[in-house]
Amino acid sequence: MSAAAAARAPWLSRFITSEHPLPWLLPAAALMTVFGIYPLVSAFISTLYRKNAATRKLVFDPDYNWVKVFGDERMWNALMNTLIYTGVALVFQLALGMLIALLLDSDRKGYGFMRALMTLPLVIPPAVTAMMFLMMLNGSFGVIAQGIIWTGLLPDNFSILGNASTALPGVLLAEIWQWTPFMVLIMLAGLRSLPKEPFEAAAIDGATNVQAFFKLTLPMMSKVIAIAVLIRGIDLLRAFDYVKVMTDSGPGTATETLTSYSGRIYFGNADFPYASTIALLTLILVIITSTFFMKAFKVKL
Amino acid sequence: MSFRDYDKKTFIADAARDFAARRISKRDFLKKMGLAGVGFSAFNLGLLGSTRPFRGTGPIGDAAYAQDASMTQWLKDVSGPFKGTKIRYTSEATPPTVVLDKLKGEFTEATGIEVEIEIVPLEQVLAKATQDVQGQLGSYDLYYLDQSWVATFSPDTIDPIAYYNDKPDLAMPGMDWDDFAKPLVDGLALYEGKWAGIPFDIPIFVTMYRKDILEKHKIAPPTTVDEFTAAVKMITEMEKGNGMYGTGLQAKSGHYSLNCDWTQMVWNEGGSIFTKDKKFSGNDEAGIRGLQLYQEWAKNAPPESTNSTWDGQWQMGASGQVALINSWDEFFPGWDGADSKVQGLWEAVRPIRGKPLRAVADAGFGEIPNYGHQGGSILGLSKYSKNIDAAWLFMQWACSKDIMVRCTLGGGFAPMRLSSFADERVKAKQVVGPGTTRHLPIVLETINNDIASEPDMPLWAGFSNNEIPVALGKLLTGQDYGGDAKKCMDDVAAQIDKAVAESGL
Repeated sequence: MSAAAAARAPWLSRFITSEHPLPWLLPAAALMTVFGIYPLVSAFISTLYRKNAATRKLVFDPDYNWVKVFGDERMWNALMNTLIYTGVALVFQLALGMLIALLLDSDRKGYGFMRALMTLPLVIPPAVTAMMFLMMLNGSFGVIAQGIIWTGLLPDNFSILGNASTALPGVLLAEIWQWTPFMVLIMLAGLRSLPKEPFEAAAIDGATNVQAFFKLTLPMMSKVIAIAVLIRGIDLLRAFDYVKVMTDSGPGTATETLTSYSGRIYFGNADFPYASTIALLTLILVIITSTFFMKAFKVKL
Repeated sequence: MSFRDYDKKTFIADAARDFAARRISKRDFLKKMGLAGVGFSAFNLGLLGSTRPFRGTGPIGDAAYAQDASMTQWLKDVSGPFKGTKIRYTSEATPPTVVLDKLKGEFTEATGIEVEIEIVPLEQVLAKATQDVQGQLGSYDLYYLDQSWVATFSPDTIDPIAYYNDKPDLAMPGMDWDDFAKPLVDGLALYEGKWAGIPFDIPIFVTMYRKDILEKHKIAPPTTVDEFTAAVKMITEMEKGNGMYGTGLQAKSGHYSLNCDWTQMVWNEGGSIFTKDKKFSGNDEAGIRGLQLYQEWAKNAPPESTNSTWDGQWQMGASGQVALINSWDEFFPGWDGADSKVQGLWEAVRPIRGKPLRAVADAGFGEIPNYGHQGGSILGLSKYSKNIDAAWLFMQWACSKDIMVRCTLGGGFAPMRLSSFADERVKAKQVVGPGTTRHLPIVLETINNDIASEPDMPLWAGFSNNEIPVALGKLLTGQDYGGDAKKCMDDVAAQIDKAVAESGL
């Protein structure tokens, strides 16, 4: 601040350099208000209007969208898909992540390189990963699809992503492939920070590796696992990229998640109020689920 | 998810899709990824494979690209006040847009007006235009409007004929409005007596067949729906062992492409989407017959059809996987491309005819039932633009005789103007080869005789991108309705009739 400005408003200069918390909090609070609270409030306000698709006029009708959303079969289907998608992806990513982390938790030569390799899938943008899997799952020429067809599990030219019963597993394959390494890295960080003494004591007492894993490793890793699940869980509840690129919510609504449904209403039907209602519902779901999870597993962030 | 975030993700996806479909080169793909903030490792680069040209563009020589000198002079004369202006619009990556994007530098050079064309997926074009008109923002000076949205956006555009007459000082000499094919004006640009824009793009359904395969099985090129169906079934039976199917579909659930296929099936069976009393009629006898026949065709198409849009359908033809397609004429030049394995093997005829058509007077919302589904677009001048006159100059230039011919020469797709069809340079390319125009006589015949048009109603953009193709997807992939076409259409009818009633149309 210039001397002239300080002279004009001496209280401001004193306030900024004081030990009062406000000067420190204000910038963050302002950013939070502009980028967090305002869009949220704006989205909520828009849910209170009904849009006439023919005239594009917005009519104040506060309960219209909220009543509609709870009676909307597609929303319930999307909610169910979102929960299945999140649950299945989490289980696979967690189990595979832990398994691979245990295999890579070694100081022997070459393991460091292998750990570094695990980051490769993470640097590919999800939309590009989705395109890769879209091609690999193509029933006519995709390498994964052809492999499965070759084993006889699927008939010739079977379209994995074009079939209602196999599309969701197909999309999940891309999701799991890309994000399992994230779990591996978190688990590895946790494993490598565990103290050695309890394991040595257990070995002297004759504990097997399996016993040591269930009685020592898992309990000591519980906080790390909980945080990893929380981070991935929040991300998975907002699943969009893979669904958009690989199936565009189809076939029918077989892979439609809450975010992709909201996107379709927003960008396809241009019904902003109703799309905002679904988006807010997704936010509420994320908040409730993560709060419940943090309480249940005593996670403190 | 924010609009920007959505935008970025779909931009990446679209660029990747374009690259996979060989519409853009590896260099362009990487450039776009760079714009989207995406980096690549050497390993990823290896996965991208070798550079391939845009499938529709063939070498046409420098002469064809030279701008008409009188046009350049006129642009220089009138553009003085607008020098330094920047105009923007957003469009799907249709062949004319891609070629125009390459040519626009000539316009900028002559006028000093910069032109930014945002090429994004179709649903984003709709979303951006919708946001712009909803807030009357004027972020876009022009709108690329698909034929199914014209009614929605007509109130937001300026009638080009009226503007041409009102602003004689900016009126391009020799614009010759009568040169636009009348069926295109009626089916595309006109809504309630007003031109919502200038016709810009006209993909239209024609019937295309592999002459070698049909000759092999002694099948005559089909002219009716029944002949087409019989040929499709026969070829599937005879050639399936060789990995070939009778036909390929653009039946991706929830995509507009599936809606296009379906509407054509309904019209072919003598039905319509709406009746004159504005009720959905896809669930009447003709509508059900059409959908049942489509289910039959799907059994004789590569299973990947249910996950394919027009891109996938084109690929099926290019890879030699199918022998007959009733779809967009724009596929044709690419199949004749230099690197195509089916070069010279495809032929085009007028679209197959079905049962007698339902009269236009018996259909609703300005729908025109016929055998050639058109998927054209117009360029509309935004009422809310802050640079209306500069945009108007560009719009006239982009739709002028000279540019339209050169767009056709650059991509082999159908022009809007009768003079372009008759142009000697266009005729000279009616030979097998990249960017061929040998299908254009059939296209012109189809435009003049068979052009069909979807309903003109503000809700149609939503119905045709969501309710209808989602329900059809459920039916075709076995997610719902147990294979019962009637059940599916009754469900769609309930949704659509309710929405139409609620909107007060």
